[in-house]
Amino acid sequence: MNWRDWLPSLAAAVVGVGLGLFYAWSANPVEYVDTAPSTLRQSYRQDYLALIASAYGATGDLARAEARLSLFELDRPAEELTALAQRRSAGDGPASEAEALAQLAADLGQRPTPLAITQSPAATVTRSPASAASATPTRAATALPSRTPTAGPPFSLRQRQAVCQPALTTPLLQVEIADAAGNPVPGIEVFVLWDQGEDHFFTGLKPELGIGYGDFAMQPEVVYTVQLPQGADPVRQVQSEPCEAVDGASYPGSVMLIFEQPNN
Amino acid sequence: MMSISLVDPRVRIALGLIVGLVAGLLYGWLIQPVEFVDTTPDSLRADYRTDYVLMVAEAFQAEQDLNLASRRLAVLGPAQPHTMVETALVYAQEEGFIQSDLARLENLADELARRGGTPEIGGP
Repeated sequence: MNWRDWLPSLAAAVVGVGLGLFYAWSANPVEYVDTAPSTLRQSYRQDYLALIASAYGATGDLARAEARLSLFELDRPAEELTALAQRRSAGDGPASEAEALAQLAADLGQRPTPLAITQSPAATVTRSPASAASATPTRAATALPSRTPTAGPPFSLRQRQAVCQPALTTPLLQVEIADAAGNPVPGIEVFVLWDQGEDHFFTGLKPELGIGYGDFAMQPEVVYTVQLPQGADPVRQVQSEPCEAVDGASYPGSVMLIFEQPNN
Repeated sequence: MMSISLVDPRVRIALGLIVGLVAGLLYGWLIQPVEFVDTTPDSLRADYRTDYVLMVAEAFQAEQDLNLASRRLAVLGPAQPHTMVETALVYAQEEGFIQSDLARLENLADELARRGGTPEIGGP
């Protein structure tokens, strides 16, 4: 036999491949039953996560919520839940889900070791009572207040403190925002302006530091102005001040601004 | 007795067809199957479906919003919400869920049956 005798076989094989693919992909494709939540479409994933939070809000069973979240293999569950809470609080879902998501995110996040905050570079004091209280949140204290969390009088600067923490390699402009009841408020946009430009950031994106917390990396020797959209007055002349390390060396310090809504 | 020989062109064609068919099936089912992403909740495995329904029941316990519970259940398919909850309840009983979980499922099933919760959106 020569190669021409095998041409019909080759053609038949091609037809066979075509038939096989038709059967495998169309007539009898692999059926996707018994799937896991991690394979869900994005919108369903978000609904599922919101439902985990809502169930947690009802039961308070953090271990069960964590077990359910583990199905999704989230890299940073607290941050992802916070971001989802912000989207939901902006109108994409029931307000109760946003509150539950924020609550679960806050409870998942580990509270920070109290920062060393100084009025002057040399003296070290603990965080303010309001900040310390948020380190051990209660359900009522950290829940998203409402769908319109910034309603009410404009935020005003309550405290402005220099922060000396050698572990911070970059000086930070740190902001904490609380409502009139002292509850931290996530999702607040904070504008930062300086001679050469401007930027903005949001509170709540680092839930492990508190859902009312946000920060911005400062450049030493640059003077900033900080403004909240609902703020009464801009905070001017914000600048990194030098701190002194244990060995006597100097390093750029951070600044903490604490805003709060005044009581009516 | 009939002998099979590759000299026969019909044998060669049949052989080519079989080899091609097997290759196509292997490629379609094993090497490059349909992508396993973007699934919908109605395809969830029974234990995940039951846990989903349980979460709806847990949330309902606090929210007392039957419409919201019905909407959440609607993504599991076209069945009536109370049927889904009853199915989940049967599974939960068979699998030995704790009593408080069973009570939540029973409560939601009762509320749906009593107040006739109807999903406001269709299934996926």
